Amino acid sequence: MNLNYVVKELYYQRRRTIISVVGLSVGIALFIILNALSLAYREAARAPLKEIGADITVQRPGNVPQELTGAVFPCSAVTIRQEEITKIEKIPGVIGIGKAVLVWVFDPHQAWIVLGIERENSIGPAILRAFVTEGRFLENGKSEALIEAGYAQQFGIKVGSNIAVAGRSFPVVGLVDASRAPKIAVANLYLPLKDAQSIAVSSKPLQSVSPFAPGDVNLLFIKAEQEKIMPVAAALKNILGAKAVIATPESFLKLLGNLFALSDKFTLAASLIAMLIAILIAFKTMAGNISERAKEIGVMKAVGWTQQNVTMQFLMESVLQCFAAGILGILIAVIVSYGLSFMTVNIPIPWEMSPTPHFLPGGGKQLYKTLQLPVHIPFKLATFALLLSVLIGGFTGALLGRHISKIKPSEVLRHE
Amino acid sequence: MNNGDILMGVNLSKKYSNLEVVKDVSLNVKEGEFVSLVGKSGCGKTTLLSLLSGLEKPTKGQVTLNSKDITGATEEELALFRREYVGFIFQSFNLIPTLSAWENVALPLFPIKMSNDQRRKRAIELLEQMEMGPRIEHLPAALSGGEKQRVAIARALANHPKIVFADEPTGNLDSATGDAIMAILSELHKKQGMTMLMVTHEPELAKTADRVIRMQDGEVMK
Ligand SMILES: Nc1ncnc2c1ncn2[C@@H]1O[C@H](COP(=O)(O)OP(=O)(O)OP(=O)(O)O)[C@@H](O)[C@H]1O
Ligand SMILES: [Mg+2]
Repeated sequence: MNLNYVVKELYYQRRRTIISVVGLSVGIALFIILNALSLAYREAARAPLKEIGADITVQRPGNVPQELTGAVFPCSAVTIRQEEITKIEKIPGVIGIGKAVLVWVFDPHQAWIVLGIERENSIGPAILRAFVTEGRFLENGKSEALIEAGYAQQFGIKVGSNIAVAGRSFPVVGLVDASRAPKIAVANLYLPLKDAQSIAVSSKPLQSVSPFAPGDVNLLFIKAEQEKIMPVAAALKNILGAKAVIATPESFLKLLGNLFALSDKFTLAASLIAMLIAILIAFKTMAGNISERAKEIGVMKAVGWTQQNVTMQFLMESVLQCFAAGILGILIAVIVSYGLSFMTVNIPIPWEMSPTPHFLPGGGKQLYKTLQLPVHIPFKLATFALLLSVLIGGFTGALLGRHISKIKPSEVLRHE
Repeated sequence: MNNGDILMGVNLSKKYSNLEVVKDVSLNVKEGEFVSLVGKSGCGKTTLLSLLSGLEKPTKGQVTLNSKDITGATEEELALFRREYVGFIFQSFNLIPTLSAWENVALPLFPIKMSNDQRRKRAIELLEQMEMGPRIEHLPAALSGGEKQRVAIARALANHPKIVFADEPTGNLDSATGDAIMAILSELHKKQGMTMLMVTHEPELAKTADRVIRMQDGEVMK
C-alpha cells in the first residue's frame, strides 16, 4: 500500500472524490442528526419533572364527593398512605422523596387550590423557595401562606394581609411567580405541609370518599437513579396498585407524540436507511472506480502486486474517502443541529398533574412546558459516526476485493 | 537448467472456449539471448508471450522460468514470481496516469519492503539511464510517446529482472521514435546482457534480435 498513490488518485479524480465524499457525508450527517434529535426530545421530555427536582411523580386517582363544598381532593390525586411511603422509600434506586398535599377548598366566597409543601427539600414543590418574588418563603414551624402572584393581584391580596381558608387564618408572607415556576402541581395558595394535611384531615366530605390520616399525602415526587427509573416505576405500581398514575420522562415522551419521541425504532430504522444510503454511495463510487481502472489494476498485478497488495491500495482509498466524509458529516450535523436548537417544543402537562377545577377561570386550560429543543451532539455520537464511516470504507473496500480479483494481469496486453 | 536456457516452454496450448489460439508450441530462450517473435496479427503472439511470462496459465504444457516450473503456480505465486524475475514492456505503455515518471518506475517496488528514498533512488538512476533525468516529476500526460516508453522500460528494469518481455514496444510510435526505442533495447541486450523476448509484427524490427521465431496460426514455424 502506498499512501502517496492513494492521495494522488483521490486528488486526480477530485470530481468523483468530492461527489462521493459529499454524498456520503450527507448520509453520515443524517445519521448524527437523527440520533441527536432523538436524544434532544428525550432530554426535553425530562424537563417538566426535572424542574421540580424529580424523575417520577406519583398520584392515585379516586372519587370526588357529590357536592363540591369545603376541602376536597381532585379526582386525580387522593390519599397515599404513610405506610405506602415507607415502602416506597425502600425501593432500590430511589434516591429521595418529596411530598405534597393538593386540596381544593371551596369556601362560600372563594375557591382555593391549596398546595401543602415541605419547607426544605430539593425534590418536589419545596423548590418554590427560588420563585418568591415578594416577601419571604415559609419559616420553620409557622402557619403562614404564600400566594401565587397573578392570583394575589386578581384578588387584591397583599403581603402582610391575612387570608381565611377552610375556617383557618393565615398571614400572607410572600408571593410566588407561577409563570416561571414548575408547571406540575400548580396552585394559588401554598401552605406548610402540616397545615394542608390538617385541612384535609378535618374535612368531612373529603374523609367520606378518601380517608386521610395526618401523615398521609396525595402527591409524591421521587428522585431515582437514572438507569433505574423504569424498574422503580414498576415497583411503585406494585405498591400503589395498577390504577396509580406514575409520570416518568418516558410518559412525557409519549405525550409529545412526535416521531422521534415516539419510538427508538423509528430513529433506528431512519438511521439504518441513512447508513445504507451512505454504504451504497461508497460502494457505487468504488465499484465504478475499479472498473474504470481495470487496466491500471492489471498493470499493478503484472508488475508483481499480489491480490492483497492491490486490495489494500483500494481499501485505503475507500477508507480515506469515508474518513473525510465522516469529518464533513460531523461538521454538517453540528451546523444543522445548531439551527434545530432554535426550535421550541411544547410539552403538554396532563391536567391530572396540575388539576384546577374546570369551572374556575383558566381551569381545564391545557398547560405546556415550553422550552428550546436541547439539541447537541455528544462526543460519543460523533466518534461513533466517524468510526462507522471508516468502517463503511473498510467494508466496501473489502467487498471490492472480489471485483479486483476478477481482473486478470493479462488485461495489460489488450489494447484498442 | 538445460544448456543455459532461462525460459522453456514445452508443448504449450491455450484455448479460449473452443478456439485454440496457441497450438502445441515448444520454445526456449537462453540466458542473455534476445529473441523476437514475429507473425501476422491474430496469430497468437501476445497469447504465447502471456503464457511464457506467467500472466496467463496454459491449457496444456509446461513453462519453466529461471529453473522454476511455474505451470501449477497460483495467481499469488505468479505475482510474486513476476515481481522477482520478470519485466514487462507494453505497446500502450500502461503508465499510471496519476503517478509521476519516477513513481511509475517505482511501481513494482511499492509492495517490496524498502524505504521510499531507496525506491526513488533506484527509479531516478534508471530514468537517468534512459536520458529522462529532467523528467522525473512529470505526469505521463505531459510526456511524448517515446518518453512514455522510456519510462516504461525503466519500470521494467526496476526489479532487476532475469528476463524482459516486450509486446510490440514500438507499435504506438512513429518510425523514428520506434527506432530510438529499439536502439535502447538493443543496447540493454548488448551492454547489460539482458535476456529479452520481443513480440513484433514487423520483420525489419525482428532482425535486431539474435534469433527470430516465426508464428503462424498459433504454431511456431520450423
Ligand atoms: N481473452 C481472450 N478471449 C478470447 N479470445 C482471445 C483472447 N485473447 C486473444 N484471443 C484471440 O486469440 C487470437 C490471438 O490473439 P493474440 O492477441 O495472441 O494475437 P497477436 O498475434 O498478438 O495479434 P496482434 O498482432 O494483432 O497483437 C485472436 O484471434 C484473439 O481474438
Ligand atoms: Mg498482440
